[in-house]
Amino acid sequence: MDCCGGTTEHEDDCGEVKVKDSIDAKTVEAAKALESENYSAGFSTTIETDFAPKGLSEDTIRYISAAKNEPEWLLEWRLKAYERWLTMEEPSWAMVRYPKIDYQGYYYYAAPKAGAKYASIDDVPKEILETYEKLGIPLREAEVLLGVEGAVETAAEGREKPRVAVDAVFDSVSVATTFRKELQKAGVIFMSISEAVHEYPDLVKKYLGTVVPQSDNFFATLNSAVFSDGTFVYIPKGVRCPMELSTYFRMNAENTGQFERTLIIADEAAYVSYLEGCTAPMRDENQLHAAVVELVALEDAEIKYSTVQNWWPGDEDGKGGIFNFVTKRGDCRGDRSKISWTQVETGSAVTWKYPSCILRGDDSVGEFYSIAVTNGRQQADTGTKMIHLGKRTKSRIISKGISAGKSDNTYRGLVSVNRKAVNARNFTQCDSLLIGDKCGAHTIPYVENRCASAQLEHEATTTKLSEDQLFYARQRGIAEEDAVALLVNGFVRDVLQHLPMEFAVEAQSLLKVSLEGSVG
Amino acid sequence: MRPMLKITDLSAAVGEDSEAKTILNGLSLDVPAGEVHAIMGPNGAGKSTLSYVLTGRSGYEVTGGSATLNGENVLDMDPETRAAKGMFLSFQYPVEIPGVPVMTFVRTAMNAQRKARGEDEISAPDFIKKSRDVAKTLNLDAEMLKRPVNVGFSGGEKKRLEIYQMMMLEPKFLILDETDSGLDIDALKTVADGVNAMRDPSRGMLVITHYQRLLDYIKPDKVHVLAKGRIIKTGEADLALRLEKEGYDGVLGEAA
Amino acid sequence: MTTALRDFIKNPTPAELELVARYGAQPEDSRRERAFLAFAETGLPHRRMEAWKWTDFKAALKALETPAAASAKDPLPHEGALVFRFTPNGFEAPVNMPEGIRMVEQPGMQAFPGAENVPLGALAAALSGGGKRPATLIFEITSGNLPRLHFVFSGSGQASFARIVFLIRSGASLNLSESYLGGAGLTSTVLEFDLEQDTAINRAIFQRGGADEALAVTGIAHLGANAEMTQTTLSFGAKVARMETRVVHQATGAKLNLNAAYLSGRGFHTDITTNVRHGAPSCVTRQLTKGAVLDGGTGVFQGKFFVPRKTGQHTDADMQHQALLLEDGAQVFAKPELEIYADDVECAHGNTCGALDDAQMFYLRQRGIPENQARAMLTEAFIAEALGKADDSVREVLLAEAQNWLSS
Repeated sequence: MDCCGGTTEHEDDCGEVKVKDSIDAKTVEAAKALESENYSAGFSTTIETDFAPKGLSEDTIRYISAAKNEPEWLLEWRLKAYERWLTMEEPSWAMVRYPKIDYQGYYYYAAPKAGAKYASIDDVPKEILETYEKLGIPLREAEVLLGVEGAVETAAEGREKPRVAVDAVFDSVSVATTFRKELQKAGVIFMSISEAVHEYPDLVKKYLGTVVPQSDNFFATLNSAVFSDGTFVYIPKGVRCPMELSTYFRMNAENTGQFERTLIIADEAAYVSYLEGCTAPMRDENQLHAAVVELVALEDAEIKYSTVQNWWPGDEDGKGGIFNFVTKRGDCRGDRSKISWTQVETGSAVTWKYPSCILRGDDSVGEFYSIAVTNGRQQADTGTKMIHLGKRTKSRIISKGISAGKSDNTYRGLVSVNRKAVNARNFTQCDSLLIGDKCGAHTIPYVENRCASAQLEHEATTTKLSEDQLFYARQRGIAEEDAVALLVNGFVRDVLQHLPMEFAVEAQSLLKVSLEGSVG
Repeated sequence: MRPMLKITDLSAAVGEDSEAKTILNGLSLDVPAGEVHAIMGPNGAGKSTLSYVLTGRSGYEVTGGSATLNGENVLDMDPETRAAKGMFLSFQYPVEIPGVPVMTFVRTAMNAQRKARGEDEISAPDFIKKSRDVAKTLNLDAEMLKRPVNVGFSGGEKKRLEIYQMMMLEPKFLILDETDSGLDIDALKTVADGVNAMRDPSRGMLVITHYQRLLDYIKPDKVHVLAKGRIIKTGEADLALRLEKEGYDGVLGEAA
Repeated sequence: MTTALRDFIKNPTPAELELVARYGAQPEDSRRERAFLAFAETGLPHRRMEAWKWTDFKAALKALETPAAASAKDPLPHEGALVFRFTPNGFEAPVNMPEGIRMVEQPGMQAFPGAENVPLGALAAALSGGGKRPATLIFEITSGNLPRLHFVFSGSGQASFARIVFLIRSGASLNLSESYLGGAGLTSTVLEFDLEQDTAINRAIFQRGGADEALAVTGIAHLGANAEMTQTTLSFGAKVARMETRVVHQATGAKLNLNAAYLSGRGFHTDITTNVRHGAPSCVTRQLTKGAVLDGGTGVFQGKFFVPRKTGQHTDADMQHQALLLEDGAQVFAKPELEIYADDVECAHGNTCGALDDAQMFYLRQRGIPENQARAMLTEAFIAEALGKADDSVREVLLAEAQNWLSS
């Protein structure tokens, strides 16, 4: 990976935080040894880490809160959630099976020893910088100008380089946020949620838990009690965020759960595009990830939230991998607001995730575009909920599921139309593709319509990868795996179009990697 | 002579209150009985809007002006009342009605119109005879008339079915909205023959089209150019040829 | 004994206690006990059970009471049919049975596999019988030339249960119709169909109940090689009505047409639930469900195709559900589900839900058809599609019943 190559116009920025080439090479080498065949993010980083005491108790929560020097109200908020969580049962309705999670077997807080906050990016331990560098994450502002790995070699070449501001979360803490000064000029607040608690307590207090209430579900309640860090974004009235904002999550420490919490608020007529990427090292034991994302769009505001999830999926026999239990929800609170979720899910051993929209404002719009790929022993149960409350609200769901290996891939969705949501519209399309005869593809849509003037339409198909097409491509000289990738890319094209360019390129190569070994 | 269709200073908008968009903007036009008038215009000029406003489709709001058929203001009437008064629209995109066979549909429409006019219903044998005659003229397969309205029909079949309905219902005033779109030359000729057979001193016609091609077969008495929601030029049949040759820009430039 | 039976169900309602008492009054029988325990596991099904989230019998049926309204009139023709009548306490069959059909009135309980999937079917199996009613009524069909068999379920009372088994022997076929006319506070029937190879059945179900009644009709069919089953349901619902059909394709080449129309008025709830298992290669399922709902009415559609690994290869299955909400205040819930483990399959489903199409309405009105008539015409045509595959002897009646409801 080349940190600064190709960005002649920003050499100055680059020089400030340059990492020595020798270190770079060493890390890569070390990582190579650990790497599995397919999972290029599967290395771990050796750094000294502070852990909270293992297991979950009131003391753990007090530890986390104290470690982050939190105000009293937030500690109480966490404790209330914890109390509630103790009374709740882990949900069992999803089509996923996994060994019982021992909630006392995890560390709920892990922070690099050097301290959670860094005055400048130069203070970030070099091991962490190297990790992100290896992952291709544009932490350094210079590298940021290149966009994400892969973008450089292909589409981005020759066009204006995208500018992406990044918040990077390493285990439980945010280690660096880039482009902050420039964003500040536009009035955009982009920082870790721990910092926001101190710097903008009123905003955090006003919105935290208003989209995903503390008691929403088992995993969201757990997150409310123990959330470690995450990203806070506020776009003021009328501001179009001058660049894409991005967070990269990295789980590193062993036996550690990651519980980040993201809160994004687009004030009236504001716009923001937000990208989220995730990776974790290969480990034999299962790591737990229970995040909460809350989006609030006020009048005429628009939030576009894109995810490429590439957590460690476990090995071919289903050993290890991330348990990904995530609650993502957007609230179109104002009239004519719009929230759009786009996700590419290729990782995790178990995925349980339903990015949803509450269409509260009149004429508000919700969108969900999803590609979910499962291979090996992966299990994904993912989809969306579109809750139509306001008049003339519109939603659109396009879901593409690809199952290979011995995996199971389930689309589960709800379209609910309230009696008052006159002239609401929904269109849903769910297509499943099966590669091989040992996997499963399932579609479970729920439709609840209480409004006579609403029009809801749902289509679904399940097919296998066409032998004819595959042969046609191979006859023309395309290798089998490339042909599969080609056909799969055609199958998911409707969704890829909705990803920002940098992500689309990354997503395409991820799809290919994820499906390696799925045919033949 | 008083014109059969008289449109005066008609303005109309489409869309909900907050996002209403004005499409027709002070359009005036007279079509006397016995004449065929063509309306030509570039895309987005308001041609289809005019046909929908005249026939009463919901979603279009009349914001000013009037339109009368034989002296009666039609703009306040239900679509079915306008139909009973003799106004027929040949749709640009005929609608599919699953489960309703063509014969049932047309007979229901015919009897509803007759009832509205205080006439007796048509008897089943008379209806069947009439249908057979019309189908023959148009070269329509009898089997097609047993199928659900427009379901699984090709573009040409749909347009021929519009003409079949027109000849069955014998309306007083015809509006043909882009009837030539999607037709090959043979189908176009059949459709035009049907329309020409309907020409009558007591009947008026408004032929809406983007291209001059249809007017080779249905000769208009007058040609109007519609742009930006109003008639900006009126001429004889040769105006259509000029439009074909010089394009809308040329003719519009001259008018502006 | 009844005291011990009470413990079968947690926090029982008066209705459930009454059902326990009825079970206590039946002769002891280990098969019956198994069926009742399958019911007692959950008691009357309720909204916290995934398969019953929109159809809550526990809430709708607090106590077992005889409803005020009498049974509806049977619109299906009796002439030319062999008519069987079930009432809450009685059973009548034709005196003479033609050749090719053998009827056995089993006083004892037959084994009931899969009871845990159909709690109300299990209840019917456990509580059918007593008095003049057979615990299990078994038909063996060996001819392809029988008159239609027509079953009428009516008469007032607290509850009515029946269990009927059809064994359709290789090469035979059956034309069957059932009328559920209400009158009992709770009616639950379970009909089982075993189709051997090269058999056919055309089953029509007419259901009309009272606004204070609960009804569950459970059908379970196993299709042999090249067997063909066609089913057409017309259901007007009740306070709560569940029309549930479970079909297993057991051998290659079986074909299923599974159609239903539901029409729910104010205070009526109609639930069409189906589960089709493609347990053999190269089987075909075509499913069409249509619904129309008025203010205060509820329609529920839950459909599931299950295609197992290997055995389900070359499945060709299509499921469509289309519902019209004719008035404000109507509600429709739908869950068209696919669970697929075989890769060489063509499976699709579609679901639409909403008001009549504006473009169609305008087209009809432009041709001079008044608004009310246009709406009736479109709605009738919409519903009729789901009734088209019913046998000639009942189709026109079903269409007329649907039309009467839509135009009233």
